[in-house]
Amino acid sequence: MNASVLKTLFSDAAYAALAPLFALGIGALAVLIAGLFPIGKVARGALVLLTLLAAAALNVGLLLGDSVPGVVLDGTFVADRTTAMWGVIFALGVGLAWLFSRHYYDEDASHQNEHDVLMLASALGMSLMAGARDLIVFFIGLELLSIPLYALAAFRRNRAKSVEAGLKYFLLGAFAAGFFLYGSALIYAVSGTLRLDVFADPASRAKILESPMALVGVAMLTGSLFFKISVFPFHLWVPDVYEGSPTPVTGLMATGTKAAAFAFLLNALLALPSSTSTSLALIALITMALGNLGALVQQDVKRMLAYSGIAHAGVVLLGIAGAVAGDPKQGGAVQAALFYMAAYVATAGGAFGVLALLERDGERMTTLEGLKGLGQRRPYLAAALTVFMLSLAGIPATGGFLGKWMVFSVAVRAEMIPAAVVGVLLSVVALGYYLRVIIAMWMQEPGEESPLASTRAIALPATLASAACVALVLVMGLAPRWFLDHM
Amino acid sequence: MQYELVLLTFLPLLGALAIVFTPKGAERLQRLAALATTLVVAALGVRLFLAYGDSASDPGRFLFELPWFSLPSSYGADTAVNFKLGLDGVSLLMVTLTAVLMPIVILSTWGHVHKRVKEFMVWMLVMQTGMLGTFLALDLVLFYFFWEISLIPLYFLIGIWGGERRLYATVKFFLYTLAGSLVMMVAIIWILWTRGTSDVFELINILCRAPLEEQLWLFVAFALAFGIKVPLLPFHTWLPDAHTEAPTSGSVVLAGVLLKMGTYGLVRFCIHMLPGAAIEAAPVMMALGAIGILYGALLAWAQDDLKRLIACSSVSHLGYVVLGLFALTPAGINGGMLQMVNHGISTGLLFLLVGMVYERRHSRALDAFGGVAVAMPLFALFWVITTLSSVGLPGLNGFVGEYLVLVGAFQASPLWAIVGLSGVIFGAVYMLMATRRMLFGALDKPENRELTDLNAREIGLMLPLVVLVVWLGVSPNTFMAKTQPSIELVNLRIAEARRAALAGLDAAPTAPATQREESAR
Repeated sequence: MNASVLKTLFSDAAYAALAPLFALGIGALAVLIAGLFPIGKVARGALVLLTLLAAAALNVGLLLGDSVPGVVLDGTFVADRTTAMWGVIFALGVGLAWLFSRHYYDEDASHQNEHDVLMLASALGMSLMAGARDLIVFFIGLELLSIPLYALAAFRRNRAKSVEAGLKYFLLGAFAAGFFLYGSALIYAVSGTLRLDVFADPASRAKILESPMALVGVAMLTGSLFFKISVFPFHLWVPDVYEGSPTPVTGLMATGTKAAAFAFLLNALLALPSSTSTSLALIALITMALGNLGALVQQDVKRMLAYSGIAHAGVVLLGIAGAVAGDPKQGGAVQAALFYMAAYVATAGGAFGVLALLERDGERMTTLEGLKGLGQRRPYLAAALTVFMLSLAGIPATGGFLGKWMVFSVAVRAEMIPAAVVGVLLSVVALGYYLRVIIAMWMQEPGEESPLASTRAIALPATLASAACVALVLVMGLAPRWFLDHM
Repeated sequence: MQYELVLLTFLPLLGALAIVFTPKGAERLQRLAALATTLVVAALGVRLFLAYGDSASDPGRFLFELPWFSLPSSYGADTAVNFKLGLDGVSLLMVTLTAVLMPIVILSTWGHVHKRVKEFMVWMLVMQTGMLGTFLALDLVLFYFFWEISLIPLYFLIGIWGGERRLYATVKFFLYTLAGSLVMMVAIIWILWTRGTSDVFELINILCRAPLEEQLWLFVAFALAFGIKVPLLPFHTWLPDAHTEAPTSGSVVLAGVLLKMGTYGLVRFCIHMLPGAAIEAAPVMMALGAIGILYGALLAWAQDDLKRLIACSSVSHLGYVVLGLFALTPAGINGGMLQMVNHGISTGLLFLLVGMVYERRHSRALDAFGGVAVAMPLFALFWVITTLSSVGLPGLNGFVGEYLVLVGAFQASPLWAIVGLSGVIFGAVYMLMATRRMLFGALDKPENRELTDLNAREIGLMLPLVVLVVWLGVSPNTFMAKTQPSIELVNLRIAEARRAALAGLDAAPTAPATQREESAR
């Protein structure tokens, strides 16, 4: 490799583009090393928080800066405002999961250090995925995210359910990874490149897709990504894994992983020909229907949120389908997906966090039965969960509403009105189960299975995190101007 | 003084916030705080009502606008969504009614809300903000915001303080209304994208020129949302359940104001904004209204539960409103608008009275009563006045509205006017039957002998409404004169669309009222 290539690879722009990734990587290593020394929980916590804040700040810097580095590293990574916004969202998602995990583990508290390192590593993976414009770079990001998550899912190793979740996630994730690599290989065999930009040009795209081998490759890639965002027919792993994993980790899977996969999927799918939009919309609607109907019969709120997460993935996919069909608004789908996922991270992250807090009080608290009468015992916690439920349901004054509005706008703009109408009506079904959580908390008296009022105070990090989520959800719903202008 | 509307809308919310931070057991404080807030709001509302249409008053007083955020549009620039509140003749009566009714409702809760008083007051006040916002919003997105938000308080009010089957009723209410609203949301998204503005008045100027087919689709989407809310046959089944299970105060607000959000929407959007489609759809809507009148009356006749009876009578009375509005004649629209207020007052009073007797007797079954007039003469007096107002006795408010509606409907379609007219007869039948079975006859049940008559609070809270009943009956012009100019604009728009339809065009591009639009764009 000669000097000029090295110069372009390691230019100032490349360093600026990768600064948030460096921050996360260095932070993760620092936390790992700090674990060797008896420096105390608070100091290590400060280190994790500092890392996440630094990554977020660097991304905000890119977002607000006059110029962005753009495509770097020989066209394999892009650092534009969209990537930066995704980076902020990831930092938020990981930060929330981490804050709620602070006092979650009792018996496994001794491994808290490893836990934090894994979380930071997953944040690094997400950021790499969002900026990747090359299938191998994306794959590295994907594995950097997935492998920590396999370990995190099984983190409560004394509990059979947690181990089961980890194993299931690992096995299926390994298959998905295999699919991805095999698909990439097929595409490489036809096109001779792993970069996404060959798909951006319609002429070269048409030429590649003429080959059945490339079609199989694209199908395998799509399937593997659908697995990550939990879209029909690759959604079946979600309920078991979400239910079994430690709740803060579930929150991370539901928010961060999904957001990262969508960040890449937006680029990948937008390169598809518009003829695929009908099937994408159909898959989106089926996903929404299955997610919502599945959630409707759940008694465990964690499991219910898992199914609801499937439905939400369907909603975003509907927006993407609209964009593939030809959204006349340039970049409208990206903006909609960004806003939707940002609101979803704050909402679902907060909801899983509140469930994590409740779970500490007793094993059965996350069932609907266990939530009964929560409004009387823990009014602020119940109020926070109510806000999250309303936001998930897409009721105005919450970020969830505007997100839903924008995603359906994409479909309407692409003149997919029937799909949009079916989609909104499916979200009425969704309301059925969100309302049940609210009913249990506020309208029913505590039952025999509901634990008695707990006197245990909620730790400060979790309180701050829940309050921040509520505030963010409401700000995104009531004063969304800043978000809309920067997405 | 342009902040008056903002103050009016958000004062209840501020009051609710203040109550959230009161100590847990301080029920008296919470009740009084809620009452004080609503009284101030009522005073503000009455002030605005008096000032409205007064030539000396500054017209800017009735409009408030702030930039909010923007959404994509098919025009180069994004659509600016504004926080725009405004008062005009279409919303004036509804806003005043909402402001005036609330202190009465809060005062009525002294008798029947004994648990979780704090939350109750908070939700009541939040609901008032939602309702006022819905009526005042002059931006389509803002309207939709308030429209959906106002569902949540009632959901809690029924779900926590309701009767036996409250959970079923409240979920049904929420899901029904939301299903309609979401289809409307898709229509609003479409309008924003294709027209590049969300300002209601601008859209009123723009959309009347839209192709008829597009107007009709939009009409269906809007009418579905509003029709479910009204409720219009065949979407009425949620209403009797919601009313029966709701606490008295919830029923009063539901009948008095919330249902009017539907009829208000019909006037503001379905008729004023989409006049071409309204003309096309008028026969169907009139039919639904007229059948609703008759069907609701028959339903009410068959009820044994007093509250359910009044709930069914609501379906019937709102049928008049729809019948009048979609007659699309000046008399019909005026009558429909007036009937909206009348229904709010009379049915509100009826629910209050049923609540009062339920608090004493703990039963609402008609069979449980008989001869109550002997035990509770004052109650009987109020009940009879209200009943007569409800069945449309000349001299009381119901008469004026029903008469105008029927005159208007007759001009448009004699058939549906006659069907509606028969509802008047059935209306008298079921209301007077209920009155006879409850108030008169032998006082043969021992429980009824011990009933105590109304106390000063109960009389005091109903008196303003009774005054309004008579006032509206004797001098409806006090109110109609203020709404007239705005309704005139609606009529103008309809006439224009009629001419255009006759000329065989989709719309009339040269009609005078549409010209203002050019300068607005």
